[in-house]
Amino acid sequence: MSVAAIGADAHGHVDQLYVETRELRLQGFLLFLVSDCVLFSSFIFAYLYLRNSGQGWPPPGIQRLDVAFAAWNSVVLFGSGATMHYALENFKHGNFIRYMWFLLATIVLGAGFLGGQAFEYNHLIFGEHVTWGGSGIFGASFFTLTGMHGLHVFFGVCYLTVLVLQSAAGVYTKGKFFGITAGTLYWHFVDVIWVVLFSIFYLI
Amino acid sequence: MVTAVLAALAVAAIVFSYTFPLERYLPAAIVTARQVDDLIRFMSATGSALYIFVAGYLVYFAIAFRAKASDAPDAIGVQIHDNRKLEFWWTVIPLIFVIILSVVSVRIWYEILLEPENGLVVEAIGHQFYFSFRYPQINGEVTDEMHLPLGVPVTLNLTSADVIHGFWVPAMRLKNDTVPGLVTTIRFTPRLAGRYPIICTQFCGVEHSEMDKQVLVIEDKPSFDRWYKGWQQKNARVSNALPGVAGQAIPLQGGDVAAGKALFSQKCTACHKLAPFSQTLVGPGLEAVLHDPAHPDLVNGKAANPADVASILENGYTGSMGAMPSASSNGLSPQDIANLVAFLNTLK
Amino acid sequence: MAVAAVHSGGIAGHIHPEPQGFVRRYVFSLDHKIIGIQYIITAFVFFMLSGLLAEAIRTQLLNPNGGFVAPGTYNEVYSVHGSAMVWLVIIPLLTGGFGNLVFPLQIGARDVAFPWLNMLSFWIFPVAGLMLFSSFLMGAPTAGWMEYPPISLQGAAGTSMWCAAIFLVGVSSTITGINFVVTILKMRAPGMTFTRMPLFVWGQFATAPLLMIATTALAAALAALFIERQFGVPFFDPTKGGSPVMWQHMFWFYSHPAVYIMILPAFGIISEVLPTFARKPVFGYKLIAFSSMAIALLGFMVWAHHMFTSGLAPFLQLPFMILTYIIGVPTGIKIFSWTATLFGGKIHYSTAMLFAIGFIGLFTIGGITGIFLAAIPFDLHVHGTYFIVAHLHYVLVGGSLMGVFAGMYYWFPKMSGRLLNETLGKIHFWLFFIGFNCTFLPMHWLGMLGMPREVATYDPQFTFWNRFESVASYLMTFAILIFFVNVLWSIRNGRRSGPNPWGARTLEWQIPSPPHYYNFKHIPTVYGLPYDFSQPLPYKGLEEELTDSPPPVAAGAH
Repeated sequence: MSVAAIGADAHGHVDQLYVETRELRLQGFLLFLVSDCVLFSSFIFAYLYLRNSGQGWPPPGIQRLDVAFAAWNSVVLFGSGATMHYALENFKHGNFIRYMWFLLATIVLGAGFLGGQAFEYNHLIFGEHVTWGGSGIFGASFFTLTGMHGLHVFFGVCYLTVLVLQSAAGVYTKGKFFGITAGTLYWHFVDVIWVVLFSIFYLI
Repeated sequence: MVTAVLAALAVAAIVFSYTFPLERYLPAAIVTARQVDDLIRFMSATGSALYIFVAGYLVYFAIAFRAKASDAPDAIGVQIHDNRKLEFWWTVIPLIFVIILSVVSVRIWYEILLEPENGLVVEAIGHQFYFSFRYPQINGEVTDEMHLPLGVPVTLNLTSADVIHGFWVPAMRLKNDTVPGLVTTIRFTPRLAGRYPIICTQFCGVEHSEMDKQVLVIEDKPSFDRWYKGWQQKNARVSNALPGVAGQAIPLQGGDVAAGKALFSQKCTACHKLAPFSQTLVGPGLEAVLHDPAHPDLVNGKAANPADVASILENGYTGSMGAMPSASSNGLSPQDIANLVAFLNTLK
Repeated sequence: MAVAAVHSGGIAGHIHPEPQGFVRRYVFSLDHKIIGIQYIITAFVFFMLSGLLAEAIRTQLLNPNGGFVAPGTYNEVYSVHGSAMVWLVIIPLLTGGFGNLVFPLQIGARDVAFPWLNMLSFWIFPVAGLMLFSSFLMGAPTAGWMEYPPISLQGAAGTSMWCAAIFLVGVSSTITGINFVVTILKMRAPGMTFTRMPLFVWGQFATAPLLMIATTALAAALAALFIERQFGVPFFDPTKGGSPVMWQHMFWFYSHPAVYIMILPAFGIISEVLPTFARKPVFGYKLIAFSSMAIALLGFMVWAHHMFTSGLAPFLQLPFMILTYIIGVPTGIKIFSWTATLFGGKIHYSTAMLFAIGFIGLFTIGGITGIFLAAIPFDLHVHGTYFIVAHLHYVLVGGSLMGVFAGMYYWFPKMSGRLLNETLGKIHFWLFFIGFNCTFLPMHWLGMLGMPREVATYDPQFTFWNRFESVASYLMTFAILIFFVNVLWSIRNGRRSGPNPWGARTLEWQIPSPPHYYNFKHIPTVYGLPYDFSQPLPYKGLEEELTDSPPPVAAGAH
C-alpha cells in the first residue's frame, strides 16, 4: 500500500486548505515543543546548578538511585516510542488494524512506565524516606523533574487513549491524520526528555 | 555650521565632565574610588558628546526639514534608501568605541580586583536590619560602627545571617551583596579619613529603608587602635559566639550522628564538600576532617579534636582560608553543634 | 506562495464566517483586530491602576520621612507597580495589543494562524491581571518585581498569588509568541518576501521567539518559587541547601530578553511612523531589520550583567560586560538610521511624529546609561540605586511607552475610523515630555550620590530633588489624563479619518478604517518595499477594497 498524499480524500482530491492548515498546526506544535523543552531545560539547569553548588552527589544521607530498575523502566518507555513509530507508519500505509494494535501497545507501555515510576517513588518515599520537601535539594530536584516528566507521560497516555477512540470512530482518514502525527511527535519528545533525565539522575 | 556648533557643545561637555568636582559631592574614601571616578568622567565625556551629536542632528533635521506652508500638500522628501559608506562607518565607529571602553573598564576593574590580599581581614554580616562586623582579635561582633585604619589594605568578607543585603559605601564607589550561605570578598585600601554612611541596596524587609544609619569610620592608626582596644576590652567577656549559644555548654558527648548528617546536608554543604581537603568550594573539603594525617591541624592552627571543631562551629572563622559564619548566623543550637561534631568525627 | 495565489490567498486568505451577535463579535471574538483592541483597552485599565500606584510612590517620597503610607504598604505598592507595568501594561500593549491589531494587516493576512489560541491568550491576561492586583487583599509581594529569595520566601501570601499571576501572563505570552511566529512565517501575502516586510513586522518577528522561549524559562523559576513557598520544597533557601543566586540566574535569563520584548516592537512602531511623516523611505531598511534580530539574539547572552554584585566569579562576569557593550552597536545603528531618515524629508508634525522623535531623544539616553551600567566598576557603585531606576524608566517610559503613544495616535484611526484630537495630543506630548524628564533625569544624580532604590524613607539631603521629581510626576499624570480624555472624546466626536489619513503606504492603510472582519476582499500581491514615496504603491489586487463590491464568500465554519 502506498502513502496517500497529505490532504487527499479517498478519490485522490487534495484539500488545499487542509494542507496549509496542517502546515500551520505542525509548525505551531513544534514551537510548542520547543518552549516545553525550555521549561525542562530551566529545571535541568536548576538541578545541575544545585548539584554542583556544594556537597558532592548524592548529598550525605541519601543513597544513590537504583540504576537497574530505572534502566528497565526506561526500556519500557523507549519501547513505547518504537511502537508509536510503527503505529504512525502503519496508519500512513493504510494498515488500520495493525495501527490500532501498535497504538494500544504504546498506551500499555506508557502506563507501564508510569507504574514503574510509581513503584520507584513508593520505594523512595516509604522505603528510604526520601521525600519531595524533606530531603533537601535532592528530593526537590528529583521529584520535580521526574514528576514533571511523569505528568507529561500521563497526559500523553490520555491523549493516545483519545486517539484510539477517535480512530475507532473514523475521525482520521488516509490523507488527514494530523492528530496522530502530533501524538507521535509529542511521544518522541517525551522519550528524548527521559533520555536526558535518566542520564543526569542515574548515570552521572 | 551645525556640525561646528555641535562640536563646540561636545567639547564643552567633555571639559565639563573632566572638570566637574565630583569629590566635593562624594568624597573618594578608598584608593580605587578615584579610578572609578576616572571611568565616570570618561564615560560621561564620551556619552554626552555622542548624545549631543545624535540629539543635535535630530533636532536640527526635525526643524530644517519640516514641511512648510509653501510646500505642495503631496510633496515628498528626498528618496534616499541607504548609504553603504555611512552605514559602514556608523557600525565601525561604535565598535571601535566599544573596544576602547572595554579596555578602559577592564583595566579599572582589574585594579579593583588586584588590591592587596594580605591586609586586615574583617567580616561583615548582614542582618535584618543592620550589619555586624567581626575583627580578628575582638570577641563577638561589633554592631554599631565599622572602623578601619588609613592606608592599611582591607579584605572584607561579606555574608548574611538571613536574607540578601547589599553592602554599599557610596564614598567607596563599591558594593557587594551579602548572600546567605555564601561568602563574597571585596578588597580595598582606605585613603581618606572621614565618616561615611553604609547603605543596604538590596530590599531586605520592612525596615530596609532604615538600614542606612551605620557608618564606616576611616581614621588614623592610633585612633583606630584605641577604638580596637576599646572593643577588645568591652567584648573580653563575651564568648566568641552570639546570643543563643553564648555561655551554654555544648553537650559534646550527646551528639547524634544521624541528626548531624542530616543537618550537615542542610547547613554546611553550600560551602563544604565531603571530599579531600583540597577540594575547596567556599571552604575546604571536610572528608576526614578529624582524622586526616595530611592535615593534623584545623584551619585556625589548633589540633584537630572535637572540642576545637565545636569551637569553630560556634564562633565561625575568619582568616587566610576565607570566612565562615558563626553558629548564631548559621542558626545552630548547642545540640546541633554536638550532633555535627559527632557526624564529622565518623568521617575517616 | 504560488499555490497560495491560485487559491485566493490560501490559508492567509481563509475567511471565517462573519461573527454574529455582540458576544461573538466583541467579547469572545476570534478577530485579531478586536482581540488587539481588547488587549489595548485592558492594558490601559491596568496602566491607570499601576499609574496610581506610581503616584503613591512619588507622594510618599515628598518627605524624607515618608508618611503617606506605612513602609510595609509602600513596599507592596512599588512591587505591584513594577510587576504590573512590565507584565500587564507594556508587554501586552506592544505584543498582544499593537501586534495583533496591525501586523496581520501589514502582511496581507486575514487573521493570525490560530485565532482560537489568540482568543485564549487574551482571556488569560485580564484574569492574571486581576489575580495580581488581588494580591493586595492577602498581603502583596514586597520584594520588588524581581522578588529575590530568601526575602520573597518570607513574603505574605500574596507573593504566591504573584507567582501564579505572572505564570499565567507568561502562558498567555508564550501562546501569543508561537502564534505570531507561525503567522509571519506562513501567512504572508504572495510576494511579501522577508526583505519586503514592513519594519513593524520585523519588530514582532524578532520579539515573538523571545516571548516563546524566554517566558518559559521564567515560568520554571516562578513554578519553583511557588512550590518552595507553598510546599517547602527547597530550591532557593540556603539553609536547606538551595541557592538564592540561582533564582537570579533564572529570573534574569528571562528578564533581560524581556527588556527587548518591551522595546523591539516599539522600535518597529517608530520605524513605521518616521517614514510616513517624513515622506521618505526609512534609512537603511535592511540594517534596521537585521539589527533587531541581532539584538534579540544577543539579548539571551547578557543576563548576568544584572548580577555583578551577586558574588559571581570575575572571569564569568567579564564576557557579560563585553557582550552588553556590543549590544550598543546594533542599537546605535537603529538610532543613527532613524535620525538619518529625517534628513531631506518633508516632515509633518502630527502627534504620532512628535512621540516618535521624542522616543529617539529619550531612548538614546536610556541606551547610553545602559552602556554605563554594563561597565562593572561603575555598576558596583550604582547597582541597586536610583541610577538604575532612572535608567530603566528612560528605556521603558521614554522608550516603550512613548512608542505606545506614537502607535496610539498613529493607528487609532485604524481601530475606530476617527482621528484623535491633535491639539489635545500635542498638549499631551509636551506636558508628558517635560514631566517625564523632570521626574527621572535628577534620579541619575541621586543614585550616584547615595540614594538606594526601594526605600520608603531617605536621607534628608535628597529632599529637594525628590520633591521636584514628585511635582513633575504629577504633571506627567496630568498629561496622561489628557490622553484618556482625548481617547474617550475622540471615539465619539473625533474627525472621521477615511481609510488613510496619513498618506501611509503599508498595507493596513489601503483598506477601510476600521477594516472589515475579513480584512481584504482579495489578498493582494506585493511587489516591493512599501516605503518609496516616489513610486506607485507596490501592491496589486487592492482595486476593490474601497468600493462597494460584495464581500468575499466565507468558507464553511471550521
